[in-house]
Amino acid sequence: MKTRIFLIGGFQKTKFLAKSLLKKGYHVTAINKDTEKCLAMAEIENLTVFNGDGTKPFVLEDADAYNADIAIALTEYDADNLVICELCKKKFHIKKTVALISDPKKTEFFYRMGIDSVVCAITAVANIIEQQTFLDEMATLVPIGEGRVSIAQIPIAATAPAVGKKLWEINLPKEVIVGCVLRGEQSIVPQGDTRILTGDVLVLISANKQQMAAIKELTGR
Amino acid sequence: MGLFDIEKKEGYTIIVGCGRLGANLASTMSDGGADVLIIDTDEGSFRKLSPSYGGITVVGDATDMQILREADIAKATAVVSVTNNDNTNILVAQIAKEMFHVPHVIARLYDPERECVYHELGIDTICPAVLSAKEIDKILHLQEVQEGAL
Repeated sequence: MKTRIFLIGGFQKTKFLAKSLLKKGYHVTAINKDTEKCLAMAEIENLTVFNGDGTKPFVLEDADAYNADIAIALTEYDADNLVICELCKKKFHIKKTVALISDPKKTEFFYRMGIDSVVCAITAVANIIEQQTFLDEMATLVPIGEGRVSIAQIPIAATAPAVGKKLWEINLPKEVIVGCVLRGEQSIVPQGDTRILTGDVLVLISANKQQMAAIKELTGR
Repeated sequence: MGLFDIEKKEGYTIIVGCGRLGANLASTMSDGGADVLIIDTDEGSFRKLSPSYGGITVVGDATDMQILREADIAKATAVVSVTNNDNTNILVAQIAKEMFHVPHVIARLYDPERECVYHELGIDTICPAVLSAKEIDKILHLQEVQEGAL
């Protein structure tokens, strides 16, 4: 059976997400309390659309929430998204719930209330902007675990202070490790006495936003 | 009750939402000598408080934890959330319970259907529709009994 995904609230994001998920072969149901928006979304092929307030248990029940596998709450109000996810979790026993929030300070609270994944639009956008700003230093930066851990790929230029040093000589923050050194065709899993050379690309795994401090230590910027 | 012999009661209550219920509750509690603080996003709503209201008023969004900290929520013995939005009441109640460990948390819910989910979290809910229905039923029943006795 296809994985069934519920998208509750939202409009532009929901449409985009629905199309993308349908293309990947999921069964997608969108719930929205605005009739006009429902009609617009109904034009998307294969999308099941429900007109109703997703924070009300009977609406979710009508939409067959008991058989849903994933619920994603995308309304503009944090309170509504919390209630949607809690209803989905506690009443309908949906395995995975995802909530969009606008206030970054509530992230921890939402996790504590048992929501599986909390996406904060403001933090996400700020992180991407920050990453784009330092794009010349970093080929890629992949945030994992809601941005608590990140994997970065760092090219070492000839001018970098880390050049010629052994790994243990570099004063990296505690929560950062160099997972791999890419040198030409070779990929080396480094030890403390691995020497860093010009042109190396380091794969850095860092926790708790330490990557900037680590990058500064390695590249001098 | 004289002017100076108002009994000082223990405890400190935060009321969220200064609507008819919130304002009434705050005024009554304040008149009874309790420490009360009321929060509302609209400053104009505080005019509903009785002129003798002796508590504090705070303008702000109670779903913002910073506002709750300013209201000294850690010292509160009770939080009563009575805004006109069920979901806001739920959010405020859960923040009070989970983040600040307030002993008594009460939320007003217009929709009785959601109640069951929140009882298990230790949040007391008040549902006007259910209360009214019970009260009406009681009055009607009472009348029936009286008519039967005649």
